[in-house]
Amino acid sequence: MNQHPYLRAYMAGIVFPSAFMLVVLTVFCIVRFGLKEPAPIEQIIVFPMAILPNAFGAWNMLFLKLHEHWRVPIGLHGAALPLFLGPIGATFAIAVGFLRITERGLQYFGIFTIPYWYLPLAPFLAIAAYYLIWKYIVGSLNKLLGIPC
Amino acid sequence: MKPENHDEEEIRAALKRAFAEPDTELRRDLWPAMLQRLETSALSVPWYDWALASCVAAALIFFPRIVLFLAYHL
Repeated sequence: MNQHPYLRAYMAGIVFPSAFMLVVLTVFCIVRFGLKEPAPIEQIIVFPMAILPNAFGAWNMLFLKLHEHWRVPIGLHGAALPLFLGPIGATFAIAVGFLRITERGLQYFGIFTIPYWYLPLAPFLAIAAYYLIWKYIVGSLNKLLGIPC
Repeated sequence: MKPENHDEEEIRAALKRAFAEPDTELRRDLWPAMLQRLETSALSVPWYDWALASCVAAALIFFPRIVLFLAYHL
């Protein structure tokens, strides 16, 4: 059990987002093909599906590395992840034209618009959600795989 | 006694000499230790985490459009 700790940390990290993305993809497919909504699934889902599980795995490996020197609680470590993911997602979306800045707010894929007053609220929600996910889900998976946390 | 039976007896005796009889009896009752482990592993969620989860759930209910925003960026 003491072998390959970083591989185990990566595996413990990717479990939750991989399973969660299947749920998200199922919902998107129901909306797109069941309800015939004109949502471009493949464009919406590409960033979360490609980046999120790997980001969780790499962030958990970083937690294991930092844990040797600095014993930060895993919840706080996970709460810092959206501070990186949010700007990366926005940069990606603007670069490929998925996100446009309009007078009414941020327009995604030309379909849904997020008012600007949502923007101060979103980071707090993301940080709170990530804190809980990392503390209770990723933390328990780490314990299961013998990773100190 | 046939020679092959003789060999088998010898092999059996040699194996018994080589390997000690396994200790199959329990030395103590394991159930109390199991109960203790179940009690210690029970997840205890502090009040501030419940409050935080409630705030997140309330925000997602009152501002449902933010789910799309978070689903894409996170």
